[in-house]
Amino acid sequence: MGRLRQKGKAGAAKAYVTRSKAIKRLQCSLADFRRLCILKGIFPREPRHRKRANKGSSAPTSFYYAKDIAYLAHEPILKKLREHKAFAKKLARALGRGEWSSAKSLEDNKPVYRLDHIIKERYPTFTDAVRDIDDALCMIFLFASLPSKDRISASLVDNCSRLAAEWQLYVMRTHSLRKVFLSIKGVYYQAEIMDQPVTWLVPYQFTQNIPSDVDVRVMLTFLELYQTLLGFVFFKLYTDIGLAYPPPLDIHKQDSGAGIGAFNLEENTRNRLLSTLPSSTGQPEDAKVSSKTVRQAIKALARSSVPEDEREANDLLHDADMGDQDEEFVLRPSTSNPEDAANLPTLHSLSSLPRSHVANLFAPYTFFLSRETSRPIFEFVVCCFGGRIGWSGTSGSGSPFEETDDSITHVIIDRPPIRRFDETEAELSRRQRRKYIQPQWVVDCINNGKILLEEPYLQGKTLPPHLSPFGEREGAYDPHADINDDTDEEGEENGIMEDDKKSDIEHPMDEPLVTALEVAHSNPAAIRAAELQAEAAGMDYGTFEKRLAKSQTKATRVQEQTSGVEEMNKMMLSNKQRKLYEKIKYSERKRHAEVR
Amino acid sequence: MAPLAINRKRKQTVDELSDASDTVSFPDGGPDLPSVDQEDDEVGQESDSDDVDAFPEIDAGSETDGEDDEDSSESEHEGQDYEDASTDDDLHIFPRARTIISDITGQPKKVYPEIEPNYDSDSSTEDAPTRVGNIPLHWYDDLPHVGYDIDGKKVLKPARGDELDKFLKTVDDPTAWTSAFDKSTQTDKPLTAEELDIIRRLEALENPDANYDPYQPTVEWFTGTGKEEIMPLSAAPEPKRRWIPSKWERQKVMKIVRAIRQGRILPSKPKTTSSQPQFHAIWNDEPSSSHAPQLPAPKLRLPTHSESYNPPEEYLPTEEERKDWEATDKEDRERDYLPQKYPSLRLVPAYDQFIQERFSRQLDLYLAPRIQRTKLNIDPNSLIPKLPSPNTLRPFPNYRSLSFTHVRGRVRCVSVSPDGAWVVSADEVGIVCLWEVLVGCEVKRWSLDEKVTAVDWCPRMDVSFFVVGTEGNLRFFIPPNLPPSILTATRAFLNPPTLPPTPTTPSLVKWVNLPPAPTLDGPLLSLELPPSSGLFKHITWHHKGDYFATVSSGGGQGGVWIHQVSRRHSQAPFKKVKGSVQLVSFHPSKPNFFVATQRYVRIYDLMEQKLLKMLTPGIRWISSMDVHPSGDHLIIGGYDRKLCWFDLELSDKPYKILRYHSRAIRSLHFHPSYPLFASSSDDGSIQIFHARVYSDLLMDPLIVPLKILRGHEIREGLGVLQVRWVPKQPWLVSSGADSTVAVWCH
Repeated sequence: MGRLRQKGKAGAAKAYVTRSKAIKRLQCSLADFRRLCILKGIFPREPRHRKRANKGSSAPTSFYYAKDIAYLAHEPILKKLREHKAFAKKLARALGRGEWSSAKSLEDNKPVYRLDHIIKERYPTFTDAVRDIDDALCMIFLFASLPSKDRISASLVDNCSRLAAEWQLYVMRTHSLRKVFLSIKGVYYQAEIMDQPVTWLVPYQFTQNIPSDVDVRVMLTFLELYQTLLGFVFFKLYTDIGLAYPPPLDIHKQDSGAGIGAFNLEENTRNRLLSTLPSSTGQPEDAKVSSKTVRQAIKALARSSVPEDEREANDLLHDADMGDQDEEFVLRPSTSNPEDAANLPTLHSLSSLPRSHVANLFAPYTFFLSRETSRPIFEFVVCCFGGRIGWSGTSGSGSPFEETDDSITHVIIDRPPIRRFDETEAELSRRQRRKYIQPQWVVDCINNGKILLEEPYLQGKTLPPHLSPFGEREGAYDPHADINDDTDEEGEENGIMEDDKKSDIEHPMDEPLVTALEVAHSNPAAIRAAELQAEAAGMDYGTFEKRLAKSQTKATRVQEQTSGVEEMNKMMLSNKQRKLYEKIKYSERKRHAEVR
Repeated sequence: MAPLAINRKRKQTVDELSDASDTVSFPDGGPDLPSVDQEDDEVGQESDSDDVDAFPEIDAGSETDGEDDEDSSESEHEGQDYEDASTDDDLHIFPRARTIISDITGQPKKVYPEIEPNYDSDSSTEDAPTRVGNIPLHWYDDLPHVGYDIDGKKVLKPARGDELDKFLKTVDDPTAWTSAFDKSTQTDKPLTAEELDIIRRLEALENPDANYDPYQPTVEWFTGTGKEEIMPLSAAPEPKRRWIPSKWERQKVMKIVRAIRQGRILPSKPKTTSSQPQFHAIWNDEPSSSHAPQLPAPKLRLPTHSESYNPPEEYLPTEEERKDWEATDKEDRERDYLPQKYPSLRLVPAYDQFIQERFSRQLDLYLAPRIQRTKLNIDPNSLIPKLPSPNTLRPFPNYRSLSFTHVRGRVRCVSVSPDGAWVVSADEVGIVCLWEVLVGCEVKRWSLDEKVTAVDWCPRMDVSFFVVGTEGNLRFFIPPNLPPSILTATRAFLNPPTLPPTPTTPSLVKWVNLPPAPTLDGPLLSLELPPSSGLFKHITWHHKGDYFATVSSGGGQGGVWIHQVSRRHSQAPFKKVKGSVQLVSFHPSKPNFFVATQRYVRIYDLMEQKLLKMLTPGIRWISSMDVHPSGDHLIIGGYDRKLCWFDLELSDKPYKILRYHSRAIRSLHFHPSYPLFASSSDDGSIQIFHARVYSDLLMDPLIVPLKILRGHEIREGLGVLQVRWVPKQPWLVSSGADSTVAVWCH
């Protein structure tokens, strides 16, 4: 006889604890528990059998892993939270007694917890951290746009906007922005950092107010974690490209509304680099210098020989190449190992994929922002793709050039065109030289990876639809389909034709038509195409009709037969399989219905 | 009306008061004083009934005696002066002190009037009008008097005017409101100035005593300068600790000093937040592998085209979609936004749910249990079992070659002759038709004028006849045009020249030999069941053709009878059957007998007369059953659309349950030689299956659906009522409620 097993001593009953039990075990308040869970990233688990996990009770509770809770019990932050509780009591007592000096000394020695170890624990490698900064960025950008109130201190908002600016500066510097999407919720950006796509959402520039059904405490706890996380991530990102972190802030510029221009990106000093990366003997700077000189030399050469327009394109290419080289050298400053030499060419070849020229998409252009367009969005976006951008003084200071500058090629404008009669000659000529485009053009160019025609985006035109660069899930309706329908169909048919020709050559003349018909029998557009093809082949309409009918009946018969057999075979499914089958079919049908 | 006994002093004070108040009308305090007094009294009395609560009753106490003469004289002398200086000091209850120069010391001194120790000085000796003592005076409320005087005579209450008088008095007399009702005398008494002052002070929450000074200078009796104690209380010498610095304190201080010197205690510790650079390179060293990192949280869904500020037109919701979206609860919505289209970017408003969405994302992050779900990415068609194609399993019936129509009535039953040439079909009207399978030509028709519910052909090849079951009796018919040898054999079988001996015990079932009709179109033999046994539901033959079993709807023993033609003997095998018997069947090779009740199928051994097995198909109501020709398999159909395949060697639970008919299954039949079976249903369809049974026990039977035959119409909810295979041919005969019988050929 085996050992007697007592109920509730093993299995799910031991592995899970309910929330109230966890709180009791940790001897903290619910609020502290919540804070711990948020900071440590511990979340409830769903036991396979709720009853077994909860002593036979099926009451609605949330369960945590008992191991997670045991792990929380050793958390230094928990100790700090308890200390803080004691401190709060002491402070309240001191204030109540009017002992101001002791209250002040208490306040000075207030227990403060740090989250460094948590960041390290939750994200053991830097890639893990980068993978998880999506939510952090969204929150930072949201809080940077909130008005400071009693719960949200001004320093918090300042810090958030500083972090947001630092992130944007980094993305601009490394040209790592990939996609931009103007949605009704805000602007989605996607950047690629360390081969990880990082997507964040920035609300449009309006004053947000925290609604009453939102618990600010939870948001602030998350924000606490996110600020620390982003601080460490930015530190690593900045030092990796050889910049000092945090970038110094120019107060004057900041006060005059320069936005992200208020930060000066500083090259890291050499000893600092040495201290952080002991193995890299200042190589990046050397590399940088050399690459710069090389680039200049090439430019000079190109200028002298190549005609104007070609030169620009070449310039662009070289720029991109060089830029990439720069990045490569700087991004991996510590790889001065023996394998370095072997590594570099492959990385280089990887980065010289066609994407590279997209990074400097706007380099030949100079933009000017009209007053009603959002400066933070377009300043960031245009700078990310190498363009120059200026703006009027009403949108903040720091514009590199005035509206009258002759180098401006595009004006991003978002208002209906107005005819002006009092235009001077200079103004008119300037206006004719520039292109007045709506903001969507910039974003669509980025998403398409090429400069689009300005024509449909000109001021006052009805814009073509703005589509998500992130695409839809598989099998969803594709709005491109009906636009490019004809050309696609053609190509497909041609492909099939060729295949068929290869396979059998019995009716070399009719074969393409037959296949086309076979393909086409359901789609009226395809039928029309086939008809045209038949006409081209010199077939009269009657025979075409006959052929069509024949192919259709044939197709339907084949279809019927196969479907009939399948229908019958369905009855051999077991009950479980049948249900699964029905479920899959149902979802399939629903998807189809959505596509319509 | 006149006051009975009023103190002299009181009178005088009243005089003073009236003097003070009536200065305008009587500047000199005229000679009519008494009359005024009286009037006053009256008025006070009248108004008193109202003011009893407001003003406390004034006890006619006379604390101020000896002074009054003097006082009154004074006031009389300097009346004007008194009126002007009606300050607190003047309103004295106590005797007033006079300041005189002392003869002895030459200093001014206060002289208080002598207290005359006579009766007048004591209130107890006062001349009270009644002598009842200090008793509650409301005892006299209902009586005409207020007590007794010293002589024991009643002191009558003074007469009181009515309400109008009272009112008039209050109007006339301006001092009426300052008088109070005195219960002992039952009259109104005007209040003195002192009393009024007390009332005023009480109302103003002041001390009632006018002379009370709350800010008296303190008198230092024991403390203060010059009064210190000089002498010690004890003579003990001063202890050393009072003037030597503490050793322990020094030690403690030194400890702190040492700690400060060593840097363990920082005197003004910089704040923890600003002490070290906030951020440093934490990812430079190797990741510690003590705790495995959790799985990263799932990322948010990326935006689709419909979230664009300028989506293609087809993404915009229609009006009813918008209404639907608005009507559903927030949690039930498929999408948390409605697609919108704005002509330009500047017109895009703030998204009102932005913070809520962020917040709900955070709630998801820390409150939602995460489950790793493997997303089923199955092609649904891969679930469908791969079965051999029906084309490889030919032959099977797949089209209707001919149909034979009865005039009217549902064709309940059909049977095919063992040689496969003839079909006999019978309808509810009572017409039994015999026709050829190949051409559908009717050869003979019997009309029985009774509802025919069961027909079955005897499986013997050397004789040829069939049994028709009607209400309560069975008839044996011989088809026409038989070869003479078979005809004689049949006749000899059914109607032997020497009848077997009648059983000793009289049976309930009567075998009746009918006189041979000259035209040979009548039944040759008839069998009558007891009258209560009702309709025959089912007739089934043993494969040898001597025995057959019937099930009838009524009668005892479950309505099951087994008949032996050669011995003309019938017996009921069961004394009692649990449940109502639906069907019975013989095993094709063994002496086993299958009995299907409403829910179960029991298998009996007829030789040993015992129950072998009970099958539970899980069907609510069994409608049909057939045994595979090998005898190892059984199919059972039910009115609840299920078909169960039983492997009798295997288990008493079905090997396979199929549900494919949309209505009740009516009939099932295995083909005697081909691996086929058919089922018919009320949905008007017949399903043909290929059913291959392997002799190897390890191989599962292969069931392949081959063909759905449609063609019978549904009448009154009934479809195809019976199907029978044609022996030796893969042909099927089916009879339907639409009074047709169809032959399906391959």
